[in-house]
Amino acid sequence: MSGQPTGFETLYVQHFNEEARSLAYYLSKMDGYTALKKAFSMSSDAIIDEMKKSNLRGRGGAGFPTGMKWGFIPKQSTKTKYLVCNADESEPGTFKDRDIMRYTPHLLIEGMVIGGFTIGSSVGYIYIRGEYTREAKLLDAAIDEAYEKGYLGKNIMGSGFNFDLTVHRGAGAYICGEETGLLNSLEGKRGEPRVKPPFPAQSGAFGGPTIVNNVETLADVPFIINKGGEWFSKLGKLEKSGGTRLFSVSGHVNKPGVYELPSGGHTLRQIIYDVCGGVLGGKKLKAVIPGGSSAPVLTADEIDVVADIEPIMKIGSMLGSAAIMVIHEDQCMVKLIQRITKFYAHESCGQCTPCREGCQWMENIIERILHGEGKMEDLDLLMDITNNINGKTLCALGDAAAGPVASFVKKFRPEFEAYIRGEKHA
Amino acid sequence: MPKCTIDGREVEFSAGENLIEIARRVGVEIPYFCYHPGLTVVAQCRMCAVEVEKMPKLQTACSTPAAEGMIVHTKSERAIQNQKSIMEFLLVNHPLDCPICDKSGECDLQDNSFKFGDSKMRTSEERRTYLDLDMGPVIKKNMNRCIHCTRCIRFGAEVAGVREMVAIQRGNNTEITTIDGRPLETDYAGNYADICPTGSLTLKDFRFRKRAWMLKKTATVCEGCSKGCNMEIHQDNNVIQRCVPRANLEINKYWLCDEGRFNYHYTVDRNRISFPQVSGVKATWNDAMASSKTLLKGKKVVVLLGSDLTQEEAKLMMDFAPRAFPGSSLFHYGTPGIQSPAGDAAADSFLKRKSKTSNLNGLEKLGIKGFDSIPSGTDAVVILRGGRAVIPKIDGVSTMIGIGVFQEKEAKGMKAILPGASFAEKDGTIVNYEGREQKIRRAVTPPGQSKLLSETLMLWTHSTLSPALSKEGVA
Repeated sequence: MSGQPTGFETLYVQHFNEEARSLAYYLSKMDGYTALKKAFSMSSDAIIDEMKKSNLRGRGGAGFPTGMKWGFIPKQSTKTKYLVCNADESEPGTFKDRDIMRYTPHLLIEGMVIGGFTIGSSVGYIYIRGEYTREAKLLDAAIDEAYEKGYLGKNIMGSGFNFDLTVHRGAGAYICGEETGLLNSLEGKRGEPRVKPPFPAQSGAFGGPTIVNNVETLADVPFIINKGGEWFSKLGKLEKSGGTRLFSVSGHVNKPGVYELPSGGHTLRQIIYDVCGGVLGGKKLKAVIPGGSSAPVLTADEIDVVADIEPIMKIGSMLGSAAIMVIHEDQCMVKLIQRITKFYAHESCGQCTPCREGCQWMENIIERILHGEGKMEDLDLLMDITNNINGKTLCALGDAAAGPVASFVKKFRPEFEAYIRGEKHA
Repeated sequence: MPKCTIDGREVEFSAGENLIEIARRVGVEIPYFCYHPGLTVVAQCRMCAVEVEKMPKLQTACSTPAAEGMIVHTKSERAIQNQKSIMEFLLVNHPLDCPICDKSGECDLQDNSFKFGDSKMRTSEERRTYLDLDMGPVIKKNMNRCIHCTRCIRFGAEVAGVREMVAIQRGNNTEITTIDGRPLETDYAGNYADICPTGSLTLKDFRFRKRAWMLKKTATVCEGCSKGCNMEIHQDNNVIQRCVPRANLEINKYWLCDEGRFNYHYTVDRNRISFPQVSGVKATWNDAMASSKTLLKGKKVVVLLGSDLTQEEAKLMMDFAPRAFPGSSLFHYGTPGIQSPAGDAAADSFLKRKSKTSNLNGLEKLGIKGFDSIPSGTDAVVILRGGRAVIPKIDGVSTMIGIGVFQEKEAKGMKAILPGASFAEKDGTIVNYEGREQKIRRAVTPPGQSKLLSETLMLWTHSTLSPALSKEGVA
């Protein structure tokens, strides 16, 4: 990783090489499965406590405190409990989980066994996106290794705790990254989100209490158990955000890739210019999408914001999965939002009215504008549609589709108007 | 009981009740499409979203259980705006072909559009279209009108016990169809049309027959089996157009089987005998009555009562028979192989029962026994029939008189027919398999010169048998 900055502690990037994926490497170089041994000597409450202290927040996009989530599992329930790893990584621009699965699969496995032990689940699934064929194979190989050495299966490390782990491959739908859509797909049903409540912690996979965590979230767990929640928390630079974070940087940037940075330690400007070597071809920066394609776009003069959950939320966007997409001056914003909207219209599951009808309608309008058939009223109509979708859908996909459109129209309105006036042509 | 407040009205509720039902109790209408009280809640249409204090987002009323102290506003600015926007979204792709749509007049989409939608349309895009699919003899599908509420999918899987309706494709291209485009299998298919909130699934039987607002509705009970499902008969100009289920949570909930739904057809069949007959030839009431009396005079008579008759009819006959036919015996008949309620049982895991007549239990309660075989020495049989009971095979009796509803081919060999009223043409009481007494009600008048049993028996008792009268005809 040529551009990876130094001067702070990192957990992952130094191991992101093919050698690291073996169990032998994991045991010798990464204190492999020592956290698990330690966890077996701790109570479930103590582990959750440590998780809460770590200020680890879900790395999938919502940023929900992991310790708190684990605490939601009803202890008295006699139903089979499930721990599911969301490895769907479907948010466009995000490719960090892929590296974890590709290079340090045992971190994820160990994190899952600890998670299972904590919530009282002996059944784990890794739901991996269909396109990650290679990673699915690597995970399967790592799981086989772990079974062989007794880190998975019956009576793990003599603890009396059993945990079975299965890799389940998705068929390539964005919506299956939504946790309840994922659970439906896992159960063999259509990948459609469920009505909440009940939340998965009450009734998730196959009706049992279920925790769904992102790959990076679960991979962080062994570090937290080994070195303590407080230590992990201090890796982050903001009070509420612990640990390091893997950023996926892509687009018009000189050194795209996965970077590990302290949570809340850098501004977007620093990430783009200092870490990633600036805008491609020395061009002027036009816009940044800070958290995967569903995050509202930021203009070039909004990038002095700290790249973390609250600061970005404060300026009307979101950190999401920490997928930063850099856009330079040559990019037509109308064409870009057309492509993003087409994606969401295509990926809408079609269950709920505003998303099913609204996403396609927005795409049609933008398409019309691009082809010189737009009217000025269309821009207000687009804004209205985004308002009518936002917060009114069954799951977050509607918001994910509406947010970008609203921000593009608001911040780059003159570009839309140029098409409408016939000054620009697709 | 816990209380919540809906539009300023305090309401008591029981745990688990959703806001739509609670609001309905105090006269507050929350519009919806995908919600149905007999199906699971999916909160997909988003039409029922309301404002709940202390919750940042609008909450779908169908999926939100009430809580103590909850304060709900169904007509807040945001809720109204949401209703407008959902209506707009639903009409982006709806063909708006109401003038030629059978659902028009009883369409949730149309009604809600008038009540909660905006009259202004902002879409200029071409509408989404689908190819049509033949779904078998009961249901006509028009996918272009579909609003993807998935009620049909849930009805099949959850109620009828057949997963035959499914969603295929995704997003804006989602199509609601049958698995592999096969015809519907369930014999409860008519319900698909009832619960469809648009004209996507309509009844082939009813299509293009009447506009919904022309129909006059009579609450009655189905006579198709001993279950006693509640239903409505819809008629116009004294002609039955269709039957639909009427909710009764203790019997049929919201549903009706196809056999019961389409049972009414025999009442309007052109082969139904609706004029008196003597030896297969149309006759006046007086002649038919005179012939019947003459034929039965001095004979040893067996009276067979169809278990499709009402309690009132059976009692009349129990009273009448000993006087008109001294020494006669009385039996009931109805479904081959089922002599008594003990032989009745559920015919499937949903509504249907094995006894294919409605009042087996009632006649049994009146002390009438099931017909087995003709007692020796019998030389005449009087058969009374509501229209559905299966006429038993009767050997060795030459004189048979029919009173009630018969089709031409059923009357072969009968010496006289005195036409009567079907279940849709009379009032009365029937007793279902579990002993529940229910009223059937007259929706239309009997056709031709058919008479109620009470009229026929009165005529029998009082007619003078004068040939002069017979020329003019009594009826």
